[in-house]
Amino acid sequence: MARSHTGTGAASRGKIGGLLMASPPIIVAAVFVGFPILVAIAYSLGHVGGLNRTIATIARGQHTVAAWDQMSLGAYRDVFTDQRFTHDLGVTIIVTLIATLAVTALAWVIAVYLRTTPEGAWFRSGVAKLISGLAVVPMFIPVVIASWAMLTFYAADGFIRSLCADLGFQGPTWGYTMVCVAIGLVWTNLPFATLMITSGVQSVPDPLIEAARDAGAGLLTIVRTVIAPLTIVPTVIALTFTAIGTLGAFTMPYFTGPNAPSMLGVDMVSYFRSYNRPQQSVVMAVVVFAVAAVFGAFYVWANFRSAKDSGRV
Amino acid sequence: MDRRRFIALAGVSAGAATLAACQGNGPGAATGGDNAGSGKGGANSLVVYAGADTNIQDLWTKTLIPGFKKATGITVTFQFDLHGQNSDQILNKIAAATQQKKDPGIDFLESMGDRAGAAGLLADPTGKVTNLSEISQDVLATVEKNAIPYRGSAVLLAYLPSKVSQPPKSLDDLLAWIKANPGKFAYNSPDSGGAGDSFVQTVLSKYLTPDVLKQMQTGYHKDLESKWDQGFTTLADLNKSMYQKGVYPNGNNGTLELLLQGQISMCPAWSDQFISGRASGVVPKDAKALQISDPSFTGGATQCGVLSASKKQDLGFKLANWLLEPEQQAAIAKAIAGFPAIPMSKLPSDVQSEFADADPGNLRPGFNSDMDSDMKSQWQQKVPGH
Repeated sequence: MARSHTGTGAASRGKIGGLLMASPPIIVAAVFVGFPILVAIAYSLGHVGGLNRTIATIARGQHTVAAWDQMSLGAYRDVFTDQRFTHDLGVTIIVTLIATLAVTALAWVIAVYLRTTPEGAWFRSGVAKLISGLAVVPMFIPVVIASWAMLTFYAADGFIRSLCADLGFQGPTWGYTMVCVAIGLVWTNLPFATLMITSGVQSVPDPLIEAARDAGAGLLTIVRTVIAPLTIVPTVIALTFTAIGTLGAFTMPYFTGPNAPSMLGVDMVSYFRSYNRPQQSVVMAVVVFAVAAVFGAFYVWANFRSAKDSGRV
Repeated sequence: MDRRRFIALAGVSAGAATLAACQGNGPGAATGGDNAGSGKGGANSLVVYAGADTNIQDLWTKTLIPGFKKATGITVTFQFDLHGQNSDQILNKIAAATQQKKDPGIDFLESMGDRAGAAGLLADPTGKVTNLSEISQDVLATVEKNAIPYRGSAVLLAYLPSKVSQPPKSLDDLLAWIKANPGKFAYNSPDSGGAGDSFVQTVLSKYLTPDVLKQMQTGYHKDLESKWDQGFTTLADLNKSMYQKGVYPNGNNGTLELLLQGQISMCPAWSDQFISGRASGVVPKDAKALQISDPSFTGGATQCGVLSASKKQDLGFKLANWLLEPEQQAAIAKAIAGFPAIPMSKLPSDVQSEFADADPGNLRPGFNSDMDSDMKSQWQQKVPGH
């Protein structure tokens, strides 16, 4: 009797303690992230009073409402009837998908290469270590500098073209094109995905792989039936982080991309700063937020599944 | 390394990278520090904000501020913001402080008077800045409410004489040259800098009648924007003759860099940026610049202003008046090749001869800032990729 009493007491104390420990980050996120998001969404629906008054005095082309219980979809109509936006949204989503898939595929190749290096193969293990080390380098180079380097590398008088010219043929000019943007985004996002997926693949127990090998499975079969199912959670996490990061990218497309079509990150800044249309800029942010939320749902699902697998839920 | 440590390490390095990326971007990046509010530093001091290039920083810290201190005994704290990167936040901060009747921490805007004036944040200088009477009525008609024009600059056509022996002298010649020499001309996207913006405005103005143009320069008339269509068609036609078949670099220095690399032979550039860039090496040493005609590229006055929220408006007006005196105007002309705001006849003869070709008295004003915002947006819709 007494024992069970203390048991529940400890459990409820643990729950409250857990809640207290979790609450500072939740409060910070709610005040500094959640609240501004709500204010911005209210602004996009035409509420220009209160905290939105400062921005509303400077902005032009606004749609406003008179009372707090009304809302105006005028700014949304502005944005969605603008062909430039629908076009740019399409381009942004396509670039995001291409970059995300390329990043994940590259990270997987690196991870599998590293994992399946047999013991004693000193040359291959050296190469594997070098590649995994190099893949993390972009994390330590600022994106502005990287995009500038990328641009000069693929420019009309850049390395690729010069090399092609020496070999006697016309190389492609990728500077100021979406190809350059996609390459740049793969470059910037590769380190995180590689760290994530490599660590997932490394944690697959040796006996499982050896058992499969003993049963006569080839590399592809081992990857497909043993490693992949055990690494699905880190892969989904890498996928969602890369997708969300790419979706809102600004620096890479701004420096290395074409003027039109552009990615939404660039559009938002232009609308906000150059066209003096902050309301329409916020509408785009809401759209990006909604698309990112779809990717975010995968992340939550993956986290939940990993918690379930380890018996925490 | 086990998985947890690996992930923790990755998390820490990602966090560090994010933090590092955030530095140097906040409004606090301005020199002088944002704790230098006008409340501090005593009654005989003034906080001046400037969002500009390093040549303006040199002009103020080396010439104007010591000179003003000597002449009046007033100390100036200079808040410098390179390229005006934080100008949006600063303007929002001023607007918020004005609405709440609080001290914005800034008394005087070196530039940006146009935007602050349009938002109604400036104090009325009438009767307090006597030298305003020296400035021509044409220039005063184009400035925003309560803003004070104190120096000017114009967009010029920069070119490499080694590649272009006979530079075009008029807009029509320039357009013909661009078509005859595909890939050798570029202008920056108008939303990213004033030089490209001026090129676009100049091409649009070619098809406008004088009275329509006047209306666009002085007010916001959305119904007149359909008259830009012909100009935008001309610009879209130029796409295939542009650098890399329609690439418009970002920023005024984007095109100058292509000029430096020799990838292009000609581009529009700001007069002051061109002259100071030639000294610093950002612009090729042998490059030249000229003003075209029919119509000429736009130019304009940099507008300063005293904030209505400032508690030290009198000192601010004193500074504005002092800036418009011939001696300071000549110093500005010498230091940054800035066009004087007062008539040339008031200035020393060496300054007069230096500016003989640039014709600074004949600054063709650009569109009203709201018209300009709309124009940038429409350019983005109608020109690149069409």
